[in-house]
Amino acid sequence: MREHTEVVRPPRALWVTFDLGRPLGAPDDPGLQRRVLRAALDLLQRTDGPLIVDYPEDAPTPTDFSGWSCPIDLRPPATDANDRGAALLREIGQLAGWYDRVLARRGRTTVGLSGLDMEAAGRLVASALDGALPPSQELKEAVDDLKAYYLEAAAGFPVPGSDIKRKAWFWSETQLASMLLALQPRLAASEDAGHKILANLTLIPATERHRLRSQ
Amino acid sequence: MVKRLVDIPEVEARHLAAIQCPTFGETRALAGKPLAERRVVIISTAGLHRRGDRTYRPGDGSYRVIPAETPARDLVMSHISVNFDRTGFQQDHNVAFPIDRLRELVTDGVVGSMAAVHYSFMGAFPPDAAEPYARNLAGLLRQDAVDAAILVPV
Repeated sequence: MREHTEVVRPPRALWVTFDLGRPLGAPDDPGLQRRVLRAALDLLQRTDGPLIVDYPEDAPTPTDFSGWSCPIDLRPPATDANDRGAALLREIGQLAGWYDRVLARRGRTTVGLSGLDMEAAGRLVASALDGALPPSQELKEAVDDLKAYYLEAAAGFPVPGSDIKRKAWFWSETQLASMLLALQPRLAASEDAGHKILANLTLIPATERHRLRSQ
Repeated sequence: MVKRLVDIPEVEARHLAAIQCPTFGETRALAGKPLAERRVVIISTAGLHRRGDRTYRPGDGSYRVIPAETPARDLVMSHISVNFDRTGFQQDHNVAFPIDRLRELVTDGVVGSMAAVHYSFMGAFPPDAAEPYARNLAGLLRQDAVDAAILVPV
């Protein structure tokens, strides 16, 4: 945040307009990344700090996928309607092929905080909703792994759309997201400080919290 | 450094605006060697570490060690915040941790060398929680003969 940098006053800062989480600009754009890094390193020769220099480029404009919808149907069959855990495991299974495809293409995955396989992570989320709450850190790592798994898998769909569309798909259409939204009040009601942090800050993004009211 | 508060959704901006930041009085930009003679370290606050390392917890001001030769497939992110994009990092780690770009600048002779070891903090911590680790890190950087650090927030 520019405002925070103005308060902290580091000796030299390069200000960029890119989305939070993408300080070098755009993935798989080594030219842009290199220009940003070079611009930051070139500030080392300046001795008139503390200074903030504006980086002149914006991130490339994403292609318009305004008509995009998820190309695969993840909706659970009617028989699963009252068994959220079964519906979640089914959804996880349906994404496996897409996840594998992206893993092969990228040669890496960011899944792997919890040490659980995705079915076990799914079972943990389901048990948190219908049984006793697991320790907050265990739940957080399982949820973060599942979110990474879903979003990496979605990048492998035949027409993957933009990352913005895929995140909107995650929060509006998946069984996992609906279960996380349903879990939030349970966590908020817990007396455990870790559960409260999850409920209030680290489970549902600020931009998606409006969905809690419609639950 | 990224964005202004007015550029991001209001709910998120309110949360970020409430963060207390210390003001450092003496932050002069001192002259040093030319870039082509400097040894550069990357210090991220993206909550990065190697798979299997201890994950970050709320309030955690400690750092994780990322040796320069760490393969990209071993890098994971356990930042506690859910309010920034992770799909960029999932696609290409360099968008948050530009180690391949730094390596290229060294190969091209633009940068003298890169540190043997790079570091990550998890940016959502009270400054007091990180200070002892930061002081300890400064000693490690001196030992590795580092004379420039690029701090990369998310």
